Amino acid sequence: MIALFRVEFAKATKRTRTLAALGLAVGIPILVGIADKARGNHVGNGDRGPGGDGLFRLARQTGLVLPGVALTLMSAFFLVVIVAMFAGDTIAGEAATGNLRYLLLRPVRRGRLLAAKSLVAFVYAWLMTIAVTVSALVIGVALFGWHPVNLLTLFADGRVVRIPAGLGVVVNPGRLVLDLLLSTAYVAFSMSALVAIGVFFSTITDSAAGAIAGAVGVYIVSDIFGAVTPLGVLRYGLPTWYSDAWQSLFEQNHLSHDMLPGAIVQVVWTAVFLALAGWWFARKDIAS
Amino acid sequence: MAAEAVVEIDRISKTFGEVHAVDDVTFTVTRGEICGLLGPNGAGKTTTLRMLVGLERPSRGEARLFGSRVLPSAPQLARVGALVEQAAFVPHASGRENLRWWWESAGQRTADADLDFALGIADLGSAIDRQVRTYSQGMKQRLGFARLLLGRPELLVLDEPTNGLDPGEIREIRELLKRLAAGGATVLLSSHHLDEVQQVCTTVVVMDRGRLVRSGTVEGLLTGSGVVRIEVDDVPRATAVLRALPAVRDITSDGHDVLVHASGPRSDLVAALVGAGVRVETVTAQQRLEDAFLGLIDQGLPA
Repeated sequence: MIALFRVEFAKATKRTRTLAALGLAVGIPILVGIADKARGNHVGNGDRGPGGDGLFRLARQTGLVLPGVALTLMSAFFLVVIVAMFAGDTIAGEAATGNLRYLLLRPVRRGRLLAAKSLVAFVYAWLMTIAVTVSALVIGVALFGWHPVNLLTLFADGRVVRIPAGLGVVVNPGRLVLDLLLSTAYVAFSMSALVAIGVFFSTITDSAAGAIAGAVGVYIVSDIFGAVTPLGVLRYGLPTWYSDAWQSLFEQNHLSHDMLPGAIVQVVWTAVFLALAGWWFARKDIAS
Repeated sequence: MAAEAVVEIDRISKTFGEVHAVDDVTFTVTRGEICGLLGPNGAGKTTTLRMLVGLERPSRGEARLFGSRVLPSAPQLARVGALVEQAAFVPHASGRENLRWWWESAGQRTADADLDFALGIADLGSAIDRQVRTYSQGMKQRLGFARLLLGRPELLVLDEPTNGLDPGEIREIRELLKRLAAGGATVLLSSHHLDEVQQVCTTVVVMDRGRLVRSGTVEGLLTGSGVVRIEVDDVPRATAVLRALPAVRDITSDGHDVLVHASGPRSDLVAALVGAGVRVETVTAQQRLEDAFLGLIDQGLPA
């Protein structure tokens, strides 16, 4: 199993698109940081108040918040597409090139091959999320320094102004680093269901693009259903319902109660879809 | 003592919805044989080979390798080298990486692979370290041969193995197969190149429309083919005369020759032609597998 994982990881790593994805995961937070720095403390129309650019404002106080900004921006779509790409490519990518049959012409159990390939997709989901965080942290500290953050924001004459001592809620760097670790882990873990759904689609089609589109499609539909209020508590079981639960760590300085159910929902979706993928793949005729 | 059966296809069938891709086919390949699996497109050859190596599950019947039933990931696949349809690889990796990864993915050490022998077969020179996506079809096919030989397999299952190869490479592969068989390997070979099968194979299995038409030695198939090549001075007239004979099943022409698929004595054909004023130059019993094969296919399936 270790040898199989090593081979599959090497295959994924050598792909140009993997390097491109990694480049974007590192590059986009850098651009976001530079843009935030260039803007300074000016507050434009629509930016003021709780619905404005809250995390951006905090990020200007300390580089330790910029990873939170980057994760917020990139977990909504970019990371979903990237992770779906790794997951959707697992089996269907090999089938599309015709190489799948040669992998299975050896006494390698199909379940074991699927497990190794799925594990590679999970590892890359974590690596991409970590790349976003680390990149944002490095550029954030370089641009905004390593300071505590005050969650209270005061405005005067269209600008954010310094908060007098003793006012607001101050979070020290040590706590911010802890929040950062938890946030990154939660965002990466929230991709688990997406990986499992992508792997499942990958076993039922010989088109990697189709499998990727299928996994992203499920996430989009999940988001849409999340906005359908008549569905009530049923929405709590959607894979995207608790995706943003980690943001309370930065915005409100407390661990959201939604993070635990969010993790449980991920575990359930992951288990169900990996089981379906394994069941299907074990019985599938390899015709490609 | 009977020779060891390496491949046993036992009343195997495969249906896709309403389509019977393979229908109740039975044959055996014994150790050291080079068996040719013949049939027109859609005969069910590739599906049969896929079931043999565990890629597809039979709807009925079973395939056995080395005496054990074949299931997906069956342990006896370690003793098999297979090339099913075209060779395929990880396109963004080099030829050498592909060989190494394929071998290691089953948990085996590269040191245990017969890499030098395999690379010698591939004969790709420095291209072995280039990405496979840059290879020609022939280079991929040669690398495919190298891959299947990494473990010195006892059985080679080859589906159209010379596709994409030039005549020189085809000859090399032919000689390689003979050498491997002489060394004790068993070969099951599906090919459209009937002259190649005739030169290499000792036995043949003929399939058509999913069913077994004939199996046996190449010699036996040629002897019973009933195909006669007659050189005449007037091909259209000879064709008309012969077509009227009840013993004649089919006629094709080739320059000054007519190729006649017929039952009964050859002298009857000659007598009919001479009687009709057609001058007969030569009469040759055909020894070409292609003619025998076409004769079998034209006859249709056995009742």
